[in-house]
Amino acid sequence: MAKLKIGIFGMTGCAGEQIVILNCEDQLMDILKILDIRSFHTAMSKNDEVCDLDIAFVEGAVLQPEEEVLLKEIRERSVLLIALGTCAVWGGVAAMKNEVSREKLRDQIYGAAGRMFKSIPAQPLCSFVKVDFSISGCPIEKEEFLQAVASLVHGDIPVLPKYAVCTECKTNENICLLLEKGELCLGPITVAGCSARCLSYGIPCSGCRGPVEEANIASEVDILKEKGFTLKDIHNRLRTFSAPAEVLQTYLAKR
Amino acid sequence: MKKMKKSVVVDHLCRVEGQGGISVSIEGRRVTRVEMNIFEGTRFLEALVVGRLYNEVPPILSRICAICSAVHTVTSLMAVEDAFDTRISPQTKLLRELMIQGGNIESHALHLFCLAIPDFLGYSGAFTLAGDHPQEVKTGLRLKKLGNTVQEMVGGRAVHPVNAVLGGFGTVPTRETLLTLKEELMKGLEEALAATEFIAGLEIPNFCQSPTVYAALDSSGKEYSLFGDRITFSSGASKEIKSYKEVCNETVVPHSHAKHSRFEGKPFMVGALARVMINGHKLDFEARKTKEKFGLDSPSDNILHNNTAQAVELIYSIERSIRIIDELVEREIRDEKPVKIRPKGAQGTAAVEAPRGTLYHSYTFDNQGRVTIADVVTPTAQNLANIEKDFRASAERLIEEGEDSLQAKLEMVARAYDPCISCSVHVVRLR
Repeated sequence: MAKLKIGIFGMTGCAGEQIVILNCEDQLMDILKILDIRSFHTAMSKNDEVCDLDIAFVEGAVLQPEEEVLLKEIRERSVLLIALGTCAVWGGVAAMKNEVSREKLRDQIYGAAGRMFKSIPAQPLCSFVKVDFSISGCPIEKEEFLQAVASLVHGDIPVLPKYAVCTECKTNENICLLLEKGELCLGPITVAGCSARCLSYGIPCSGCRGPVEEANIASEVDILKEKGFTLKDIHNRLRTFSAPAEVLQTYLAKR
Repeated sequence: MKKMKKSVVVDHLCRVEGQGGISVSIEGRRVTRVEMNIFEGTRFLEALVVGRLYNEVPPILSRICAICSAVHTVTSLMAVEDAFDTRISPQTKLLRELMIQGGNIESHALHLFCLAIPDFLGYSGAFTLAGDHPQEVKTGLRLKKLGNTVQEMVGGRAVHPVNAVLGGFGTVPTRETLLTLKEELMKGLEEALAATEFIAGLEIPNFCQSPTVYAALDSSGKEYSLFGDRITFSSGASKEIKSYKEVCNETVVPHSHAKHSRFEGKPFMVGALARVMINGHKLDFEARKTKEKFGLDSPSDNILHNNTAQAVELIYSIERSIRIIDELVEREIRDEKPVKIRPKGAQGTAAVEAPRGTLYHSYTFDNQGRVTIADVVTPTAQNLANIEKDFRASAERLIEEGEDSLQAKLEMVARAYDPCISCSVHVVRLR
């Protein structure tokens, strides 16, 4: 069987997904045996910038016009394009204040001298190209990536959970931080796959994986208001990792 | 005769992670332009946290960088606690340091074995290096994993830790966990020491030699440390952490999304080599022997020694982690809850030595504990002006060299600074 030709690419972000891939220390050498890595700037020189690819894994959000061009080029040359991580899937932390003008933010950080820098509001990959499959997380979970690779090598589309972090947290038999401790926990509306990592340390869910399908945002907000949180703080928290998500935009538009 | 023109353009070198490049132009016998270009999109994270509550800041600003996320988290926590006069327990201090040492192990192992060594031996990366030197790559990966294990067991996740919070930890690791970790660290130390033989055998070229000012955190303490209470320069100058702005003195330059730093009009270098140059006399045990073995007990003006300085720190961080665990176990681990935070209108600043050099976080809060100003200065940003100085020195010395070889050597200089992962390896293009 011919090895799948793949590329691992980064738009703007913290490079967390590429680091997680490199953190598969025990599997890395085996991965090289089954995948033909043609492009992975973080790990190697002599990348092939033009060849056709079976799969492109893309992390990061699109923040610059040049990235939109690059992303479209990657899409053209790839059979499958997979969004890796919350920035690529939902826009990530850079998208939390997309309603504020980039010029204003730029002046705040760089002053007048920064005027030559181009920047557009952070957008997920799906705003520009067709995304075949998404693995969310800030960063992605190593296991989800490895399982996805295993499925893809066998010609299958990976299966990822469609339920909430809350479900995983219950399975772990943790004390409910939202209902019992009154903490600002987004577990009920966040997509699972992390085995309720934070909650198992006694830390409330910050929603870093983005919203679960059909998340009931209004009901979550009602509970949080009942627990004494201000609407401002609840909205801030909702907007932290996945503000461009449709389900959140729909909810916030009604406000 | 027409003047010979040469230019080298390297894509993908970056602000903290991502896209940036090198442009160097030579006309005749003159180097006319040296630039470290930063193209990484700007996320404006410092502006985005304005208005956020104090407890939202560390997890958001950790996202500046994946590979340095542990040290960003701890520096951020310390800056918030500095503002609110929060006193954390000695146990919390030790656990936070352990997390940071884990980050240093992981980052140095990755850079040294997977990104830098291929340069010295003429490979395109760790994947091709593994074909001929599987043992060294495997050692690198095992040490990298060791650093990640430390970060996971203490911080709850290798990238963007979740367990370290304001005032303490969500869940304190158990004695058993720490003792298991110690066993792994002991094995890792053996392996790292064995690898120093291989590293000592690498030939370090000196084409980039150039007088350099080094800067690192320092304290009156007797031990080598990644913490400190003042900023010390190899020129003899010293500054309080609170006065970091006078040190970093950031200016915006047209060719870069990252600001440039100069102190007393000169660029300076931060990172493992700077730390070893300034505080190396405080090293002890095997780390001290390793420093001597690599000849780093005398002043260096060659940035390529940053690679060997990282190897020294790799040993140091493993040894220090073992000593931290011994101390924690000796004091007896207590299941402490995080100290309560009392927000107020105040300003707080903290600095920690990240793998790539001194990292500063500074925030101002209003009476409700909402951020009004946030400022983060990363090591890579401080190094940019110095990188350009080294590009110039190298290009002037290599003026006769062919473009390919010049490119490879300039990349080697940039990579020696370990300018955050996604920037460390990049595509080369001739213009």
